Amino acid sequence: MGVDHRKAAVFGGALALRLLLSVLFPSLPDLLTGRVEVSTPVTSFKRLQEGLFLYMRNVSPYDGGVFHQAPLLLPLFSLLPNAQSHPLPTALFYSMIDLVNANALVTISDSGQAVSGRFYSALRKHIRWDGVSIAAWFLFNPFTIATCLGRSTGVFTTTGILYAFSSAVTGNSLNAMLSLGLASYLSIYPALLFIPLVLLCYDQRVQKTKVSSGTLPFALQHFAVFLTCILGLLSISTLLIGDFYTFISATYGFHLLVPDLTPNVGLWWYFFIEIFDSFREFFLGVFWLHLAAYMGGLTVRLRRQPLFVLTSLLGIFAIFKPYPSISDASLYFALLPLYRHLFPLMRYTFFAISALLYATLLGPAFYHLWIYAGSGNANFFYAITLVWSLGLSILLADTIFAALRDEWEHDNPELRGKEVRQV
Amino acid sequence: MALKSAIRKVRSNPHFLFVHLPHILSFICIVAGVVWLLLLPLNDYSRQTYISENALLPGQVHAYFSGSEQHIFRGYKKELEGVLEGQTAEGQEAWNDAFTPAVSDKIQSILKATGLKVATQNYEYTSSGITHQGQNVYAIIQAPRGDATEAIVLVAAWKTVEDELNLNGVTLALTLARYFKRWSLWSKDIIFLFPPDSKAGTQAWIDAYHDMQPAFVQPLPLKSGALQGGLVIEYPFDHRFESLHILYDGVNGQLPNLDLFNTAISITGGQMGIGTNLQEMWDHDDSYEMRLQTIMRGMVKQGFGYATGPHSSFMPYHIDAITLQTKGEGWQDEMALGRTVESLCRSLNNLLEHLHQSFFFYLLMQTNRFVSIGTYLPSAMLIAGNFTIMAIALWLRTGYYPGSQQASKPTEEQVTTTTTTTEKHDDKQAPPAKADASNNIIERQLALPLTLVVSLHLLGLIPLYIFNNIPHQYYPTATYTSILANFILPLLLSATLSHTLTPHPQQYHLIKSFSLLILGLFLSTLATLNFSLSFMVGLLCAPLSFIHRINPQTTSRPLRYILSTLALALLNVLSPPVVLLAVCWYFGADVETVLTQAAFGWDVWGVWTQVVVWCVWWPAWVAGCALVGFSLFSS
Repeated sequence: MGVDHRKAAVFGGALALRLLLSVLFPSLPDLLTGRVEVSTPVTSFKRLQEGLFLYMRNVSPYDGGVFHQAPLLLPLFSLLPNAQSHPLPTALFYSMIDLVNANALVTISDSGQAVSGRFYSALRKHIRWDGVSIAAWFLFNPFTIATCLGRSTGVFTTTGILYAFSSAVTGNSLNAMLSLGLASYLSIYPALLFIPLVLLCYDQRVQKTKVSSGTLPFALQHFAVFLTCILGLLSISTLLIGDFYTFISATYGFHLLVPDLTPNVGLWWYFFIEIFDSFREFFLGVFWLHLAAYMGGLTVRLRRQPLFVLTSLLGIFAIFKPYPSISDASLYFALLPLYRHLFPLMRYTFFAISALLYATLLGPAFYHLWIYAGSGNANFFYAITLVWSLGLSILLADTIFAALRDEWEHDNPELRGKEVRQV
Repeated sequence: MALKSAIRKVRSNPHFLFVHLPHILSFICIVAGVVWLLLLPLNDYSRQTYISENALLPGQVHAYFSGSEQHIFRGYKKELEGVLEGQTAEGQEAWNDAFTPAVSDKIQSILKATGLKVATQNYEYTSSGITHQGQNVYAIIQAPRGDATEAIVLVAAWKTVEDELNLNGVTLALTLARYFKRWSLWSKDIIFLFPPDSKAGTQAWIDAYHDMQPAFVQPLPLKSGALQGGLVIEYPFDHRFESLHILYDGVNGQLPNLDLFNTAISITGGQMGIGTNLQEMWDHDDSYEMRLQTIMRGMVKQGFGYATGPHSSFMPYHIDAITLQTKGEGWQDEMALGRTVESLCRSLNNLLEHLHQSFFFYLLMQTNRFVSIGTYLPSAMLIAGNFTIMAIALWLRTGYYPGSQQASKPTEEQVTTTTTTTEKHDDKQAPPAKADASNNIIERQLALPLTLVVSLHLLGLIPLYIFNNIPHQYYPTATYTSILANFILPLLLSATLSHTLTPHPQQYHLIKSFSLLILGLFLSTLATLNFSLSFMVGLLCAPLSFIHRINPQTTSRPLRYILSTLALALLNVLSPPVVLLAVCWYFGADVETVLTQAAFGWDVWGVWTQVVVWCVWWPAWVAGCALVGFSLFSS
């Protein structure tokens, strides 16, 4: 198979751009690493370095309460030279990860699952972009570039999720489970993608083999694989760290209980700063339940398009996660162009994108006023995170509307083009 | 009822809704923004200033600086004059009043004799091929009742803002250092800083104080705690003075906390009985015109964002500072100024936490009247909003209203397509065009407009680089070249694009829509950081909302040429370099000096005005000119 020239150009260009940015502006990576929009307490590269420092000196990396990321990242990063004195290998490594992610996107796009699956084939499936365009969209998205230069460890979760999707759409359900296991091991929330992903795998299996065994045994089988993968990773981590409970409470406990309320682009931090301590547990439960609840509803309603459910869930995570960053938004934006055929049906794209652009500019400005100039306060930045979330929500709701409209027109051809009104 | 029918009438008239209404709304926004600003000086919209921070207690202590301290002052002054006389060259009448090592040594020895810790710092900045170097001298009084975690800075620059010798100011600071040293009530360290000039010295010192200094600035050997406030003293003449002029504008339009300014006003006016002025308004009679003029002067300084004095350099580090300048011929002597400074230091010494109670965003119109951000921000936001309204309207228009060039088929045609698509329900795979039309949305071609607008913004980096990095003698040439380039570039752009790509009429609207969207976006963000700059750029860009490509199908060729030439002429008058020349002419300044100063601001103070001009204003302007240019070239 010859190398696709366009793909090579896009990938080479993206790699060159990333390396060029980090060589031409040597202070840029450190600047981005310090930005709250890029680095959250659970993905920060600075915190990783702290953990790495302790790990290299045979101290538990979780001592000191700074590092909260999965332990397997430590041996991986201990192989790379020190990022302070030799920043280039790390930059190269992160750029390669981005390329790997883009490659997975190309696979997902080329499979055509986004437009036609087992039960459903979209009406406007001729309006679509090819894999390389989608990869370019992902690679040249400023949010992705910022995440890559900011060296957020969220990109590894992104890799896990994208590979789970790409394995699922190519019918490799075992690999999909293993990748999702890795992603869940790194940052817990991808486990919520399990059910739609199993459905996607099942649909693929049925489409390929034409043998429909029961859904439940298939799901249980795969759940076992998923669980085994996580357990395997956890046991390796325990071997590495020694103390099982410290590591669990410092990583997953930290993800679940949200003790660090450093500002980020999400909605949790301000709420939990304001809440009285006695209600904290209750609202923690409510917030998590709220996040998890979308999974069931969307899976049932959009059963015919499991990949779309997965995409929308990623959008929901980017809004409602405890520690979201622009890397989560960039993952959602990466998958959106797969649904190019829905764009003509969307109604508020311009407003959503304008809101996102406003938030992108005003967020750092207000953060500056709050933290550096001292002339603003926390409400300034929080207001902008609300606008950001609003923009994402509008976009999300609009895509879901478009997908439903597409399904509806598919089912009711006689009503095509009629005005609809939600009742 | 009448209103209802009027709305219904508007809704049934898409041409009015999509073409005329946005123009009307935009225009109303601009007018409302300007009128809003003009209303601010009225009593109903402005407020009396007041002290929010209780701890300051301005003027509540007796100032003891007088009597025998005057002898010390005279003695120190004699010593400094002696040094100055010593360095006069043969046969020269005047003093060589440069800040030489001899002066530095004298200041150091006086401070050391007082028993203070003294240190020096060398710095050297190069900007536009000019080197600015010097040596800061500073001393620290360690607080008898403090733990060196907080400090106040007193600055007396050897040369004032107007480049005069600040001999009395420096002497007064030295006398105050000796005087303050003997008091036991300081709970904050007091730092006395003697920079050689009012431009670079303080900046070098404050950068080094926070370990943010560039390579050519020495680090500080001696430091104290977090700086709580700064005062700059200027007394550049020998006779007695009449009033104090207070400077408060910081770099990039940042302002000190209003409490500090109010404290200074309350102490000078209330306690010491010295008159105060601001913004060079020497005879302010509190009339509407005077108030408005004060606001305008404040806005111009804020908008340009340059450092108005040594205090400006403190602002980026969130240290509130002001400059006190003596003005006029009166009966106040250096002791009165000394007592004012003493009383101010006592107030700052009382602070329990950093100044935060009062306003950071305000426009002052008189020493005791101001408007706060909530009242004045809408005016800049309305102007920024006019661009966003136009952008949204154009976006909707490109999607829902094909425009007058297809006048035959606007509404009826779309209705018929809708009905035809609904009739043919036999197939599941509708043909593409119908599928799109079925939702009444025209597919937009975004690639060309997006690329053009984004690349224009990137292109702005080139003039930004040129105007900050060439040697100063080339600045006038560069300005005239850029005027010429600005004239040619949009025409070239529109000629090439209309001959190579022949854009769809819709794409002209999209270019304008994106360009205005980004302009509105940046200006509204900027309004929160630097209100005045956003307001000024917004006003200068206002015509961009109303100019567009003249449609060749509806307008005859001669009329089109005349109109577009007129529009181009108007736009070229409003281009960034022409506006620069006009401003220089108005203020009677030299282009080279202004641009050298601007480059100095960029290199040393970290002024961001140039970025706004070249990466926000200029790209929008070029896009606007190119749109007019298209009407010349499209057939």
